[in-house]
Amino acid sequence: MSRPTVTIISGSGEASKDTISVPNVFKAPIRPDIVHSVHTGMNKNRRQPYAVSEKAGHQTSAESWGTGRAVARIPRVSGGGTHRAGQAAFGNMCRSGRMFAPTKVWRKWHQKINLNQKRFATASAIAASSSAALLMARGHNVSTVPEVPLVVSSTAFADGAIAKTSAALALLRAVGAGADVDKVKKSKKLRAGKGKLRGRRHTQRRGPLVIYNPDEDGKELVTAFRNLPGVETSSVYSLNLLQLAPGGHLGRLIVWTSSAFSALDKVYGTTSEPSALKKDFLLPSTIMKQPDLSKIINSSDVQKVLRPVRGGAITKRTNVQKKNPLRNFQVQLRLNPYAATFSKNKEGSKKLNEGKPTRAPDSFVEQIHEN
Amino acid sequence: MATFSSDLIWEITRGNSATLVKRTQAGGVSFSRDQLNLKNKYSRKYEGLVADKAIGVQPGEEGGVVLLTKKADKAHQPASYIQTASIPAKRSTRKTYAAIINSTAGRNYRSDLRSDAVARASAIRKSQKPVKADKPTKVRGKKAKTEA
Repeated sequence: MSRPTVTIISGSGEASKDTISVPNVFKAPIRPDIVHSVHTGMNKNRRQPYAVSEKAGHQTSAESWGTGRAVARIPRVSGGGTHRAGQAAFGNMCRSGRMFAPTKVWRKWHQKINLNQKRFATASAIAASSSAALLMARGHNVSTVPEVPLVVSSTAFADGAIAKTSAALALLRAVGAGADVDKVKKSKKLRAGKGKLRGRRHTQRRGPLVIYNPDEDGKELVTAFRNLPGVETSSVYSLNLLQLAPGGHLGRLIVWTSSAFSALDKVYGTTSEPSALKKDFLLPSTIMKQPDLSKIINSSDVQKVLRPVRGGAITKRTNVQKKNPLRNFQVQLRLNPYAATFSKNKEGSKKLNEGKPTRAPDSFVEQIHEN
Repeated sequence: MATFSSDLIWEITRGNSATLVKRTQAGGVSFSRDQLNLKNKYSRKYEGLVADKAIGVQPGEEGGVVLLTKKADKAHQPASYIQTASIPAKRSTRKTYAAIINSTAGRNYRSDLRSDAVARASAIRKSQKPVKADKPTKVRGKKAKTEA
């Protein structure tokens, strides 16, 4: 089954007659394992180094007292006249000592990720964004989205038409992404834990990602969308996995402009033709052409080599409970076919002979006694 | 572009999904918030988000039940992929179940969910019955009776 085209939705939300063929990148294999591992690596690449002070816990001239004074040999603060004198110092077990293995700014903060893997993961994330089920599983509210991939005509963005946030919001509502924006707006909560003190005070969901083509749609829309909570924008030429698969989970709701959508084939190429913009990049191809298990099982290719089911619809069951034929009439019937007639005519309760026996005639007696 | 196999989507979402409600209590039981899940149980069989065809039974706004089914050919159209049919409260329960079966399992649509759909409809209809007030307690004992 293939669905090679997608309808272009106008800026006011009506489905136009225009369709656009779906770029090849949407056929890329969906690999949550690759996306997850690449995301983990990429997420580490924007970290800022932190460390405790080099001097922390070492700003004292403590010396061990040595043995013989019935105290532990840990270095102790010298001098007198203050409570600090004689207290243990330096060790990680000491009060106001240094921490164990003090953190250093030269920790390995960044991860190298193979370029091809990154491209694979991006292609995979784009492909996954065309599955409504995955969007819903990610938590997007798509109940009003007419179709995925959601492609909005670039004419709606032409000549800086979307330069104001009100226009941007109206556009998102018109194309059916408004519910997701509202969901984000309502989702803002205080973060649990220490992150509140570290510049990450609130948490909120992610909304739709608007992908545009800067050459044709201009860049005014970036400022228009940027104050909408949860809504992000990205140029089709510099897509980022952190936006396409937030948290490493596939299925971000993406609003494509039609020019960005049609540029995808140029950006990613096909499985046989290399991409025009990415050096030495061919789209990955799927290993399994048919991942639907029930379709494989029910296919004529498989069914015709299977032996027929033994016994057909009626198969003798094993390990069944024994039934008492004297109590269970159906079982009795199976053993004794006459049981039905026997019971119907009530033969079990029928008298053998009716009335008293008749006396034998005298002639009979005479005949017996004849000598 | 290919439509997505439900086996693939299940493998992707089985550990992580917006509909999944995981708790450590009760042996880590996994429930589902999906409206197309007849047993509210997060499993391959019952999770309607994943399946091409799925049945949901929800209470109606004015009593009765609403039968939801998934249109298999509209999987990529989230706004219109659910077919709803409401069965009003005045319809008898037996006819409600018959209606559910006739429009789903009877038409070769998820016949594996036949009894689950009926059971859910039955539970919804039962919950919509008015709660009977408790009988006044019987006064016991001579003294209490004279006082009453």
